Amino acid sequence: MNTSLRKDFAFALAGFLALALLPALTSSTALLDFVIRCAALGLFATSLNLLVGYGGMVSFGHGLFFGLGAYSFGIIMQRLGMPIPLAILVTVIFSGLVALVVGAICVRLTEIYFAFVTLAFQMLVHSLIIALSQFTGGDQGLRGGIPRPTFFGINLADHSQLYLFCAGLLVIGLLLMRHIVSSPFGYTLRMVRDNAKRAGFLGINVYRTRLTAFVLAGMFASLGGVVMSLFVSGAYPEFAFWTMSGEAVFIVMLGGTAAFLGPLVGTVVLLLLNDYVTRIAEHHGLVLGLVILFVALGLRKGLLDYVMDWRAARRIRAEEAHPVSALKGD
Amino acid sequence: MSRKKLSAISRRSFLKAGAAVAGTVSMPWVASAQAKTIKIGFPTILSGRVAQLGNSSRNSAMMEVEKINAAGGLAGRPIELIARDTKGQPQEAARVARELINTDGCELLIDAEASTGAFAVHEVARDLGILCMHTNSETSSLSADPKLRLPNAFRCARQGVHDSVIGGIYAAEIANAKNLTRWATCSPDYAYGRDTTAEFVGYLKRFAPKVEIITEVWPKIFQPDYTEAITKLIQAKPQALYSCLWGGDLTSFIDQASIYALFSQMQFYAVNMADYTALTAVKNLPPGIHSGNRYIKTFPATPANATWGDAYRAKYGEYPTNWSWQNALCLNFLSEAAKKANSTDGKKLAEVLRGLKINSPFGADGTVTMRAEDQTIVGYAIGWGTTIPKEPYVPEMKTSPWAKVFELEAEWKKQKGYA
Repeated sequence: MNTSLRKDFAFALAGFLALALLPALTSSTALLDFVIRCAALGLFATSLNLLVGYGGMVSFGHGLFFGLGAYSFGIIMQRLGMPIPLAILVTVIFSGLVALVVGAICVRLTEIYFAFVTLAFQMLVHSLIIALSQFTGGDQGLRGGIPRPTFFGINLADHSQLYLFCAGLLVIGLLLMRHIVSSPFGYTLRMVRDNAKRAGFLGINVYRTRLTAFVLAGMFASLGGVVMSLFVSGAYPEFAFWTMSGEAVFIVMLGGTAAFLGPLVGTVVLLLLNDYVTRIAEHHGLVLGLVILFVALGLRKGLLDYVMDWRAARRIRAEEAHPVSALKGD
Repeated sequence: MSRKKLSAISRRSFLKAGAAVAGTVSMPWVASAQAKTIKIGFPTILSGRVAQLGNSSRNSAMMEVEKINAAGGLAGRPIELIARDTKGQPQEAARVARELINTDGCELLIDAEASTGAFAVHEVARDLGILCMHTNSETSSLSADPKLRLPNAFRCARQGVHDSVIGGIYAAEIANAKNLTRWATCSPDYAYGRDTTAEFVGYLKRFAPKVEIITEVWPKIFQPDYTEAITKLIQAKPQALYSCLWGGDLTSFIDQASIYALFSQMQFYAVNMADYTALTAVKNLPPGIHSGNRYIKTFPATPANATWGDAYRAKYGEYPTNWSWQNALCLNFLSEAAKKANSTDGKKLAEVLRGLKINSPFGADGTVTMRAEDQTIVGYAIGWGTTIPKEPYVPEMKTSPWAKVFELEAEWKKQKGYA
């Protein structure tokens, strides 16, 4: 295990322990609900950032995989009654296969064409969900609750156990994605993003690299969908609607694309804003609109990107002011 | 001597005064413990295209809460209604419902959501076991499907199948009398539109066997332009047209169809027309549109209903909607149940609610019953009539006995595998 991976693993373990200790510190079920929702949307947004931030592919149809994850998992549990871990595995693999088919067509395209074709596929899946009502419940969604049979002594019908399970999925998902972006593949993906032609001339198969990223992003997005379906005990067509993709794009913009945890920060900020503003104001759309304006026009980058740039600039200024001590490593 | 006397008086006085002070100081605490506010969560849609209906739900609920509180509250406990916006998104509806219970401490839930959100809140009620009253979802399966049923969830809203039975009977009478055999349908392309249309057509054909559907058009929900649908309908030349378009979709369709003089070429049956929001939004309401009642203060034609409609208008400056009466009725049911149970405990209220019959301005015979078998309301006023472009908008409503509705509903449940 190299140093970087060991550091990430330690960080993930610390994160999970902090989340696991939370129920001992507070009796607030709402806070635990908040973390579960952060897990669902955080996985979803971070997976989108694999495409947007690391791959330079702005997908407007990423909600397809979030919805697919929620529906696949819900239908498997309702109709087949599989053990939950197996159902999650099947869901993620199935979403990966769908991503492979969709991606095989989409990743050949770039920029706006890529964005719109992904959106077209998302709307196709959304229409299928509405049309196949005998399986999906149509526009009423998957009703009747999602069964949560006990596995390995874990009972997800118990809220605190559900919380721990979702926190675990979040940490594992983020750790895996972190490992992906830190791997040679992650650096290849960045190279393709920065200059696909040069990468091609260096012998990199650009198409395969993009397709791999697309499939991986689809799989992690579906994991987010699984968490959301466990939280609401159902699945709804809105999960696969374009607004869901729009929300993820906004989260990524809000949190930042350069920092790995940017989308997670964006998720926390957006959900906090949403929950708080909805409680105190009726015209919450106005407040959220102002936040978007502030980020887009004021910061011109995501929150975490802004913080990281500010810290880097401070360090450079300090080094310029004390060049000798900087060289000595003081 | 004087000191001893002073001391004796002082001790007794002190004890008396102490007792008096303790009693006085503790009175509000005792009183507050007895009359501790009961919080009722009210997730509904307060933003977006359906916000007007959500606002009208909250308005009517608040109006009834004020009445109940003035009369002593729910089993002696004043009600605090906490309404919160769900934006019409099911995941947000689930979140808000959980937040209302877990954070705000709501002991009861009035789910004033549209259907999709209602199913999400239904699952929250299943998870948390709280008493939940669905007040706006008309999707029949919510209460009819035994697989979805919960002992702690009730529906206090009209149902698609009930409306379709009465509408089918009404339309069939006219079809038989005027020999209207060529029909068309134009309904929104989603579950509510398709299910309600199929049920209406089924009952229409049952009572008027000569009826034939010659064309069907299914515009998308919230579609702005109906030109294609209108031209297709005009080309098909039906004698009558049925639609369950609603809200802004219905008014847009009527405004656009009027330009093509569609309503002079065929009779129009619109189940969702007779609601003040739709009636007043159409720029030139054509006379003679056949409609089912949603809410109008002249049906049922009772002083109680007219008084309620006028009181709402006086308070909020507009007439109530279909969602308004359903939410008002829900509070009436809760109030009556709390009186009978002498408690606000959800389980005790649920026991009393099953089969509870209350006097109501919205009842066909002045009463509405919460049917025990599927925990949904029956006996509310359903009628059909033709519109005129000014108040009272639908001067004469025709209806059918609820016994007929029960008979046909039982058949429908068997067909669907619900019974």
